[in-house]
Amino acid sequence: MTPTAATPAAETASADPTVPAVRLDHVSKEFNGSHAVRDLDLDIAPGEFFSLLGPSGCGKTTTLRMIGGFADPTEGAVLLSGEDVTALPPNKRNVNTVFQSYALFDHLSVADNIGFGLKRKGVPKPEIRERVGAMIDLVQLGGMAERKPRTLSGGQRQRVALARALVNRPAVLLLDEPLAALDLKLRRQMQVELKQIQREVGITFVFVTHDQDEALTMSDRVAVMNGGRVEQCGTPEDVYERPESRFVAAFMGTSNLVSGVYRDGAVLIEGGPALPVGRRPGIGEGSAVDLSIRPEKIWLSDFEPGMPVVNGVIRETVYSGPTTTYLIELAPGITVAALEQNTARARMEDRWEGGETVELGYDPDHCLVLSH
Amino acid sequence: MNPTAPAPAPTPVTAPAPAPLRRRRRRGQRRKPVFAIAVTVVFFVLLYLPIAMVVLFSFNSQKSLTVFKGFSLRWYEAFFHDSVLLGSLGMSLEVSLVAMAGSVVLGVALALGLVRNKGRLGAYAGLIMMVPLITPEIVTGVASLLLFKGLGITLDSGTVMIAEVTFSISYVTVILRSRVAALNPEVEEAAMDLGATRWQALRLVTLPALLPAILASAVLIFALVFDDFVLAYFTTGVDPQPLAVRIYSAIRFGVEPTINAVGTLMLAGSITLIGLALAIPRLFGRRGGLDLISGE
Repeated sequence: MTPTAATPAAETASADPTVPAVRLDHVSKEFNGSHAVRDLDLDIAPGEFFSLLGPSGCGKTTTLRMIGGFADPTEGAVLLSGEDVTALPPNKRNVNTVFQSYALFDHLSVADNIGFGLKRKGVPKPEIRERVGAMIDLVQLGGMAERKPRTLSGGQRQRVALARALVNRPAVLLLDEPLAALDLKLRRQMQVELKQIQREVGITFVFVTHDQDEALTMSDRVAVMNGGRVEQCGTPEDVYERPESRFVAAFMGTSNLVSGVYRDGAVLIEGGPALPVGRRPGIGEGSAVDLSIRPEKIWLSDFEPGMPVVNGVIRETVYSGPTTTYLIELAPGITVAALEQNTARARMEDRWEGGETVELGYDPDHCLVLSH
Repeated sequence: MNPTAPAPAPTPVTAPAPAPLRRRRRRGQRRKPVFAIAVTVVFFVLLYLPIAMVVLFSFNSQKSLTVFKGFSLRWYEAFFHDSVLLGSLGMSLEVSLVAMAGSVVLGVALALGLVRNKGRLGAYAGLIMMVPLITPEIVTGVASLLLFKGLGITLDSGTVMIAEVTFSISYVTVILRSRVAALNPEVEEAAMDLGATRWQALRLVTLPALLPAILASAVLIFALVFDDFVLAYFTTGVDPQPLAVRIYSAIRFGVEPTINAVGTLMLAGSITLIGLALAIPRLFGRRGGLDLISGE
């Protein structure tokens, strides 16, 4: 790494670490009377890799565009490093964006694309050349400086878009589904690289994605959005292991949702077993609830002492390489999925077949009980 | 000449179409599609024979327009010594250049406005923009004449320019409109994100992206206006007159072979321009020269 590539941190690190890099203060955005974003309150710390995660139409891109200055909030304020920028146009904000379509300038070379922002700012030519060169090295585009964007592959274009934004050393970098157009393998590779680059430059990243894997692997914190609101905001572990709503539980990976009635610290399934879940103070006796548990939290053997164990019938066995998924019927019409790792110790002949009765064990702490 | 004339090339392609059908029906026998060939030949003869005659007789050594006596450049020499015709040529070039510049600036602006104004105003403006394309040129010509007369404006090269610009804007807009619509709006946003003002984003990013279409439409407008007769006839003053109008006036008093020389020169100029217009998009690495007509 060249020294210049690492210096961006210096410019932004001078900011007070207690002042959030981005603050959204009760921000709402209406389009033709319908809310794209509703009363959003978010603080993003300097140097954080922050993801906005949600299905399409959840308001995550609108949120990003309001930070970038491409959309005006109907209500509320956008603050960057403590300064209210709500009324400022994009070119007056110290943020840069990596667009979903990359939005490269096709008539300019790679180097001129990357140098565009510096040239606008009136940075002297020798410095532009030096910083563009360092950035080309950082994103591993050596030898491509004079090429036109059209002649590059998708992954290379992605790197140009990233370099073009990063070279300006913004306080915050906004990324709008930057990896969505790449194929799976390249996407995985770029996820790792993006995270490395973020650590090196120390810039705050706000990353929009609908891919929960991407959000989990890259982020320091994730805000799961739905219907213009933040459903839950926390570390990847928080939102995955301890979802606070039905939506988050269902959206973050696969989850078994079983409907029943809560009574005496257990969920009773009609025509099936009672599933002990422990005392749940917030849930009234006899109320209808959904029980959510992830497939990989269900044990099929080697139960621990004191663990609740219930019976079920294997209906389907789905082998997918490193894991095997069993669909198990607990009661007529109520099926849960259980995931087993095919580790070195697991033997093929030990796999269950359809129709066999098995025992399921689980830790009540892994159960999420949601009242209707 | 009417505005569709610069694109005769694509039409003959449709004529030989029956050939593959016939071949498939009589498998193995492979008869030549005589009828299709005959139609094609007749088509080309009818289309190009008169033009070929003009070119041929422009090199005739005699004044005759029916008998070719021998090769000479005397009619070209006569043309280059004819101050009236040269004056007309100069005026036509001047009018074409001004009409080209004026209609490209206004047409590009209109295309940008039409695509980006999603409201009712944009929709109506888009409809009105199409009107000059479907109005018979003679109606436009008469209307322009009446307008200039009504306003008490003296007819001269200025009035021709105004009329031609008005007439040409629609062509530029039609060509540019789909190109503007195909632009990725994020590209302009990216420019602003990187510190450009709206105007700088337009100048540094949007216009360069539109440049091939802009150049192609500029060349097209130049060619259309240069040999436009109807509109020029109604809106020009007496002296000088645009070349097309001057030629028309001249042949009323008997055809001079000089006119053949002028015609040949105009033909050569037009072919060069159209070739240029077709080549420009390719030079920029875009596909097909068809963009001229469809804007695709």
